[in-house]
Amino acid sequence: MKLKKITTVLFLLLLIIETSFSQEKVTLSGTVTAANSNESVIGANVVIKSISAYTFTNEYGFYSITIPKGNYKIEISSIGFQTKEINLELNKNIKLNVSIYENSEELQEVIITEKKTTNTQKAEMSVNKLSIATIKKMPVVLGEVDVIKSLLLLPGVTNAGEGASGFNVRGGGADQNLILLDEATIFNSSHVFGFFSVFNPDAIKDLKLYKGGIPSRFGGRASSVLDVYQKDGNSKSFHGNGGIGIVSSRLLLEGPIVKDKGSFIIAGRGSYAHLFLKLANNNNLAYFYDLNTKLNYKLNKDNSLYVSGYFGRDVFKLAGSFTNIYGNATSNLRWNHLFSDKLFSNLSFIYSDYYYGLELDFVGFKYDSGIKNYNLKYDLKNYISEKVKLNYGLNFIYYDFNPGLISPTTPESGINFRQLDKKYAFEPAIYLEAEHKINEKLELMYGLRYSQFYRLGVSTVNLYQNNEAVTFNDQLKIYEKGIPIGTKFYGNNDIIARYDNIEPRFSASYSIDNNQSVKASYNRMTQYLQLVSNTSSPTPLDVWTPSDNYIKPQIADQVALGYFKNFHDDKYSLEVESFYKTVKNRIDYIDGANLIANEALEQVILNGQLRSYGLELMLRKNTGKLNGWVSYSLSRSEQQTPGRTANEIGINNGNWYSSVYDKLHNLAVTGNYNWTDKWSFGANFILQTGQPVTYPNGQYQIQGITIPSFGLRNSNRLPTFHHLDISATYVPKPKKKKNWQSEWVFSIYNVYNRQNAASINFRQNKDTGANEAVRFSIFGIVPAFSYNFKF
Amino acid sequence: MKNISFIIALIGLIFISGCEKVVDIDLNTMEPKLVIDAAIKWQKGTLGNLQTIKLSYTNSYYDSQIPTVSGATIFITDSANNVFNFVESNVAGSYVCSNFIPVLNRNYTLTVNYNNSTYTATETLKSVPQIDRIEQVNNVGFTGESTEIKTYYTDNGTTQDYYLFKFKPSFTAIPIYFAQEDISFQGNQIFGLYRSDKLEAGQNFEVTLSGISRQYYNYMRILISISGNNTGGSPFQSPSATVRGNIINTTNEANYPLGYFSLSEQDYRNYIVN
Repeated sequence: MKLKKITTVLFLLLLIIETSFSQEKVTLSGTVTAANSNESVIGANVVIKSISAYTFTNEYGFYSITIPKGNYKIEISSIGFQTKEINLELNKNIKLNVSIYENSEELQEVIITEKKTTNTQKAEMSVNKLSIATIKKMPVVLGEVDVIKSLLLLPGVTNAGEGASGFNVRGGGADQNLILLDEATIFNSSHVFGFFSVFNPDAIKDLKLYKGGIPSRFGGRASSVLDVYQKDGNSKSFHGNGGIGIVSSRLLLEGPIVKDKGSFIIAGRGSYAHLFLKLANNNNLAYFYDLNTKLNYKLNKDNSLYVSGYFGRDVFKLAGSFTNIYGNATSNLRWNHLFSDKLFSNLSFIYSDYYYGLELDFVGFKYDSGIKNYNLKYDLKNYISEKVKLNYGLNFIYYDFNPGLISPTTPESGINFRQLDKKYAFEPAIYLEAEHKINEKLELMYGLRYSQFYRLGVSTVNLYQNNEAVTFNDQLKIYEKGIPIGTKFYGNNDIIARYDNIEPRFSASYSIDNNQSVKASYNRMTQYLQLVSNTSSPTPLDVWTPSDNYIKPQIADQVALGYFKNFHDDKYSLEVESFYKTVKNRIDYIDGANLIANEALEQVILNGQLRSYGLELMLRKNTGKLNGWVSYSLSRSEQQTPGRTANEIGINNGNWYSSVYDKLHNLAVTGNYNWTDKWSFGANFILQTGQPVTYPNGQYQIQGITIPSFGLRNSNRLPTFHHLDISATYVPKPKKKKNWQSEWVFSIYNVYNRQNAASINFRQNKDTGANEAVRFSIFGIVPAFSYNFKF
Repeated sequence: MKNISFIIALIGLIFISGCEKVVDIDLNTMEPKLVIDAAIKWQKGTLGNLQTIKLSYTNSYYDSQIPTVSGATIFITDSANNVFNFVESNVAGSYVCSNFIPVLNRNYTLTVNYNNSTYTATETLKSVPQIDRIEQVNNVGFTGESTEIKTYYTDNGTTQDYYLFKFKPSFTAIPIYFAQEDISFQGNQIFGLYRSDKLEAGQNFEVTLSGISRQYYNYMRILISISGNNTGGSPFQSPSATVRGNIINTTNEANYPLGYFSLSEQDYRNYIVN
């Protein structure tokens, strides 16, 4: 088998590397934590300049580096922290746990030691890191700090506009992003249909967005990985923080369970119940809330346990009409174990689910749907030598899909009870990856992920003539739902369909000098789950469905090339990247497809493909009173669904057309200015090419109503989307570092009151019957303020 | 199910503080296409012998005039070899037949000869249950000021059926259509819902229920969704599409006409709003 061969070669290669480095070496390992809280620091640099050796802390703050014996100066640094230098005589294996101080703890006015945020040496590319501190400084609509919206300021990231959920990475769909919160999959990242994100900023420590060169340990989505980490909690002393805004209020409490050994964190956020409903005298409700919790406990020097959870819900209730509840829930248990100072392991058991429920009182109709998944992961990091690090592990995911349970809510209801066939699937994967420093100049990361997917029973599967679930009406030139010629029953855990894929991952970095490098990467990603949605951005009602005998997994291939440079003493950094990505088996829908509560989705789905390519620039000023960045992307995203045979017309006559995520230009500027220790200011400017849409090219009348006629798909554009937002933060007592500390944040979203079009609809005026174009815009100028505190 | 997407759109709208504005958008205009609006309707309790077919051309989107098509030859044949001729009336583009014979579940074939092209389509006359009753509920909805009118009928439990509601309250210029499929209410009594805050006591509310074919149901669903009046400007819109009906240009397949040939039994009520 192909896979076996490749793995054997990989192992042999590593064996050679391993043996060729067997000099007298010792290992320095430990954790890096924040001094005030013992919170682990992710991605901190541990650098030994004299021998140009370096490593990074992992997701749990652990690092390990194996170097020759000697006297060294060790430098530990991280964004937002002051650099620490330690002199060390290294003649045996040493465990060195380092605590570092946050910048803000000493000097507010000038951030002096912000380390270079672009690592030119590491083979990693197409990755953006955002610390929660950076995100919190950005002005936002209605004053709600928003993790997802902050991503839109990064190159290559766009979304469908204001109030739209999800985000699009390098011309990919919102469903192609793997969103992880402490490793648990989040299926819907939005509250209130996209106005706010599900992440409570107070509970978040760090996030990383992988747009390309995706490491082998991630899989299951075609475009990107958003890896979000919750805080561990302060294990030194009890603290709290929170805020009061015009949309919601937040409160977080954290503290030690056993001092320096274990801590807890609990954070809640809730919006005000009648916020958007300025209505009196009836029982309408609209609110969202979420709850984050985490416990961690260090059993001994080699073992730690983490338990974390998230629960969020949106609730809308319109008296006498409908009730709508939806949200995510996750919980996970993780066990960190150090086999040796070179071998770190983490075992996770993760449960996550997404629920969507709708009750229509006036019809007596209830609809429940959702997805549950059980995920077992075992990840190992083997720090073999200073030159080679191996990551390997396995991952098993079991899915339980409920496409819909329809039931009557009253005895008089005309609705029949109906359980849409539940779907089950199993997705196992193994991976192996090496991070390999070939020499001073060249670093490689190469690996493989082998994934399988089983669509499992119990299920009754439709059978079609010639296996064609969608038929083409040759006379009328339209696609129609196929009519099943029979069904086949699959019993419990019977395999309905099976796929397996080898996903190679590769990236390389070549340092031109200390401050600049070129990088290249390739990744293949397989996505076995499909989000069934034909709107421009996901809605809470969209259902996830597994690949099966009719719906094939999406397979993405991406290559990227980049140039990276730090200059002016690391004051500035420049990142230039270009990419080309193709996705096979991107689903498209036949005209008029009904996707809601559709038990036979295969009858409305056609397989197409997606391609995107572009150039991204990011120039950052990392230090000084004024810092921030400018990012610009020039890109295209197109899709094609050709006919399956020469007779068929396909979608859009089989031509390539702009996908709804196609944004030719995307410019974002964000800046933060620390004026005094009391006042700081922030500003954002975003400009995007308008979203592709289809305008009518004529009209006709049928049965007394006017029907617009349409030409080729997505050949028109909404007007250019842009807005400028500003904020000011006022800290009344900046010198106060203990007890109650507070700040006021004032912001204005869309300063110049741009009426950005969320959509343009063409319709017949109800009174006059005349045709008109109606622009629908969501936010005009929106001022807001919030009060934040900590103690 | 269409209801659900509508509700979703509605919920979305509630939270949007933004606004709607009529704007000028420049649009292209396609080459004119022939439109055949051939809906044969047989009202319960009538002979159904008087039928009309309309021919027109497409026009630029903002134009208030619809160009009519005169000089076509139109006839319908049935499986019993009857031929029903449609003759242009004094209303241009309107072709009338006064001896049509409707028979439930019979197949009919439409032929239109115009401009050296022949257009044909075949469909079946679909039956419909009667409207059982109409119920009115006042003071409902988001603001508590809407009026709801529910039109009840009973689905045939032994067949797969598709229905088309047409609602025409006297205060609007245009009717509202609503297509239903019996998948969730097979054999039950169910209703079509109309809700508006503009309904007032004394107004006429006309409702027509038609039995339609599966193919016509699919066609009308797309038509309704793109006509723009049922979504009311939702950001969750699905892609717009050109809708092809069931009429084929047998002379030149590529130059297909728009429109549909359908045959339905109907039940009708003219309800006075309380």
